[in-house]
Amino acid sequence: MATPITAGAVAGEYMETLVIVEWRVGVGDTVAEGDVLLTIETAKAAVDVEAPCAGVVSAILAKAESEVPAAAVLCLIGTDLSDVDYDGPKVAEPTAVKTPGTTLVAQPVASFAAPQSPPTASPSGRVIASPAARRLARSAQLDLRMVHASSPSGRIKLRDVTGAMQSAVAGSSGAPVIVPNESGPLKVHRSGAAHGAPIFMIHGFASDAQSWYPLDRQLAKDHPVYRLDLPNHGASPKRPVGDFANLVREVREAFDALDLDGAHVIGHSLGGALALALADTRPRKVASLTLLAPGGLGPRIHGDFIKGIAGASRPESLEAWLKVMVNDARMIDAPFVKAAFAARSQPELRAAQRHMGETLFADGTQSFDLVAALHRLICPTRLVWGRKDKVLDWRDALQAPGHVGLHLLPDVGHVPQLEAPDLCLAIITSLIKSI
Amino acid sequence: MKNAPSTEELKDIHYKMVVTRELEEVLGAYAKEGKTRGPIHRCDGQEAVGVAACAALRTDDYVCTTHRGHHVYVGKGLSARGIIAEIFGRETGYCKGRGGHMLLGDVSTGMLGGNAIVGAGIPAATGMALSIQILKQDRVSMVVFGDGAAQTGICHEAMNMAGLWKLPVIFLLENNQYGLTVRQEVQSPVADLSIRAAGYDMPGEIVDGNDAEAVYRAVAVAAERARRGEGPSLIEAKTYRVKGFSTSDMGGYQSDEEMAPWLERDPIKLLSAKLTALVGADAVLAIEAEACAEVARAFEAALSDPFPTFEIHAPSAAYSETL
Amino acid sequence: MTLMRYAEALNAALREEMQRDPSVFLFGEDVGRYGGVFKVSKGLRDEFGDARVRDTPISEQALTAMAVTAAMSGTKPVLEIMYADFLPLSLDALINQASVFSYLWEGQVDMPFVLRTQGGGGVGTGAQHAKSLDAMVCHIPGLKVVAPATPADAKGLLKSAIRDRQPVIFLEHKLLYNTRGEVPDGDDVLVPIGKAKVVVEGKHVSIFASSKMVIEAENAAKLLAEDGIEAEVIDLRTLRPLDLDAIRQSIAKTNHAVVVNEGWTFCGYASELSATIMEYCFDDLDAPVARVAMPDMAIPYSEPLEMAVLPNAVKIAAAARKALA
Repeated sequence: MATPITAGAVAGEYMETLVIVEWRVGVGDTVAEGDVLLTIETAKAAVDVEAPCAGVVSAILAKAESEVPAAAVLCLIGTDLSDVDYDGPKVAEPTAVKTPGTTLVAQPVASFAAPQSPPTASPSGRVIASPAARRLARSAQLDLRMVHASSPSGRIKLRDVTGAMQSAVAGSSGAPVIVPNESGPLKVHRSGAAHGAPIFMIHGFASDAQSWYPLDRQLAKDHPVYRLDLPNHGASPKRPVGDFANLVREVREAFDALDLDGAHVIGHSLGGALALALADTRPRKVASLTLLAPGGLGPRIHGDFIKGIAGASRPESLEAWLKVMVNDARMIDAPFVKAAFAARSQPELRAAQRHMGETLFADGTQSFDLVAALHRLICPTRLVWGRKDKVLDWRDALQAPGHVGLHLLPDVGHVPQLEAPDLCLAIITSLIKSI
Repeated sequence: MKNAPSTEELKDIHYKMVVTRELEEVLGAYAKEGKTRGPIHRCDGQEAVGVAACAALRTDDYVCTTHRGHHVYVGKGLSARGIIAEIFGRETGYCKGRGGHMLLGDVSTGMLGGNAIVGAGIPAATGMALSIQILKQDRVSMVVFGDGAAQTGICHEAMNMAGLWKLPVIFLLENNQYGLTVRQEVQSPVADLSIRAAGYDMPGEIVDGNDAEAVYRAVAVAAERARRGEGPSLIEAKTYRVKGFSTSDMGGYQSDEEMAPWLERDPIKLLSAKLTALVGADAVLAIEAEACAEVARAFEAALSDPFPTFEIHAPSAAYSETL
Repeated sequence: MTLMRYAEALNAALREEMQRDPSVFLFGEDVGRYGGVFKVSKGLRDEFGDARVRDTPISEQALTAMAVTAAMSGTKPVLEIMYADFLPLSLDALINQASVFSYLWEGQVDMPFVLRTQGGGGVGTGAQHAKSLDAMVCHIPGLKVVAPATPADAKGLLKSAIRDRQPVIFLEHKLLYNTRGEVPDGDDVLVPIGKAKVVVEGKHVSIFASSKMVIEAENAAKLLAEDGIEAEVIDLRTLRPLDLDAIRQSIAKTNHAVVVNEGWTFCGYASELSATIMEYCFDDLDAPVARVAMPDMAIPYSEPLEMAVLPNAVKIAAAARKALA
């Protein structure tokens, strides 16, 4: 019995059809679980469909460049070539194949293309790019349809992709933006119950206090919730932060000003590193610690991501980097991108964050080391990390001492609270209840 | 008489000729049943040429032969089992199943080897003779080639150099009258190809290819001459191909009238009569019975031998590292 | 180090190997008394005698076949085929004999012969004496094919070829015989077969060449440098077995490949290089592999016509610029 392959959830629930961009396997190919079978185009973007199991591609039921119903069986994976029996409809009936080119234009992402950079596409609608350019774009999760070909051949080359990545970092406004130097305390958003154990939340780099939604809504039912905006983020002042120790000092001042007793501190990414440093220096004030994909536990960090996300001046370049954050690119749909971009539409904010990123993560490295602090912790601590994290290395979690609880989530990227909100909430509430 | 085979040698020649004939007949039966692979070129009626010629040489002398070389293989001392195993594609064959019946080689008996490019054996033996001369070895090389091969350009080139440099090589022209379906007189303006020897300053001689003793004597003389450093010889052994070109030959171009006298002068019959006079009928029958028994044992063993397993041939690879 | 001409380096290699191993012998047309039409075997007949340095009749077909079997029977023949254009006469011996029996009789016989020949155009020798038939011999399994560009490699590779247990086709170029270069001293300085060499380092485009085309590629690199393009020139030295690692390493660095061969383009050696690069380096490529080779036609005689068909530095540089555009 063969396994029928459909686009499944990848296609998006509201999609009626999808377009097959490219088959990456042929009939008779042996595939392993996780191998990319084909690339489809949905209303959101091009998405790879992976093999859910190992086997041999025993049939391909839909042609490249054809449009098929979203639920159609696209191919079969059997034990061998002759294994073509499966449960369900036998053939995917392609609907009328659209005129070449029209599919592309219909894509919302394509409309973002700047007028001076027409999408590079052959008459068949396929993007023409060199193999090396394709490989780089794939690893940077950059949509090649956004890239302008500089070569007279009309082919996107490596230099075009690196150029596009750099412009995503540098912004396209042209005029240099001065990093502001504002004074004043950091912004703390308060919500939730008047009484109960307080919760203090620290967001990650290039994010802000709004990003805790919907976690904070749930927690606020039983707890007063304090969500900090880091300097240069959200509603906090924009100013050079200096080094990591300086940033820790700012966070501690904001925390001290609240005069909380027995706070349950939650931090994500850079916020996780800061939460850890805070707990290390205020052991009696912190009742528990939840670290979501925290920084500071190893030198590795996706340097291009830091530059790219902080500098993204267009929704489409922001989208490309947001997708790096998650395992499931479908999380990053158009409304999500729109909201995320709206929060960072100010050039000053982006410039300030870019500067902050360069300061904290010079050379694409986390130069601050909090492993010793992790070992000194006395409060109950949970470390939650997605195993598909592309920004930080989840294996850094393995340095934790025995009294720290580890939750290593499969198929989750850098933002567990976004991709596994229920599980994160359960971990946090049970931790708080255990105190 | 000097260069004549001893009675013991004649008995051995007879034994090997019968082995060859039995081999051909059993192979023919397998071919009819469709149990052989590719064509088989039988040398029935020509056994005396290959067997007696090799009998006149030493084990370390080199021999090259044609696609129709079973008598040379057996004559040079290859085992029936190894030959049959090769023909049936087995691991125990002389080329581990890589060659098939036309391309056998066995360096331990100097049989290098069968060759299915018509004429290719002629420069091959000449090249070995060149090696022998340069290394100053006490060896000769011999090529058994057909009347068809005698018409190739490379035959002229090789004989010319052999004569020019007095190389220790014996050119044994096995004239079986046919190049595939075309009779010799349609391929050459002269009936006796041995006259060409004059053009290369070497002796040329015609012998009865169905008379084992005559073949032995001529080759023994030529080998002695070669060992003395006097150069090559051309021996034209007249014989006849009685079983067609190959197992895929549809026939129809050899008449019964044409074939009858050759079947009458079958080389095995002739030698059997000669040996009967020397050692008695019982001894000859015993030789023949043992020869047939050896072939039967060889088929039985070879057919139960394992097939080889395929491996990429690394020395032939196009890239200098393993991919 | 000694400054030597390419022909002298070959001569030294032959002399040293003949002194070292009495089973090595030379034969071919005009190689003995005259010392070879390009003087590669000059003086060797006087030193080693007629038996080991042998003038032959004009019989390429049989000579090549004899080299094959002489090699199987204890000697190490070095056969000179005067022009690569005559290689078609050798093909039965190479394709139906050497290639076949090195596999069929593996373990029973070695086949240590060297077939030296020279090809290439540029001096008005006309359509039957100027070809580069590298692809024709490189097509044959079981043969090794080398094509040195410098005197040092000529000597070191010829010595390796003579000592090799497999047949080696040794391709020289008539315009290289008089080129000079430093050659390491010593009887046992070998250049390994199957190893390419980076002769110019660069990071923008890789140019793969052999024999005289290496000189053209080096000149192309100089032309490209004027535009700020840093070309890497790889002298393949051995055409078969090909040093795939060297190719992969260079393309991983430059992402652009220009493949050069003086033979015909279609089904030519440059085409094989191109296919190899497509197959093994595809994701590193930032532009299609560019072939620079002879147009698919006979080589004309008149100077401007001959110059028009020969690959050269200008054509290589143009191909590199196009790949980088």
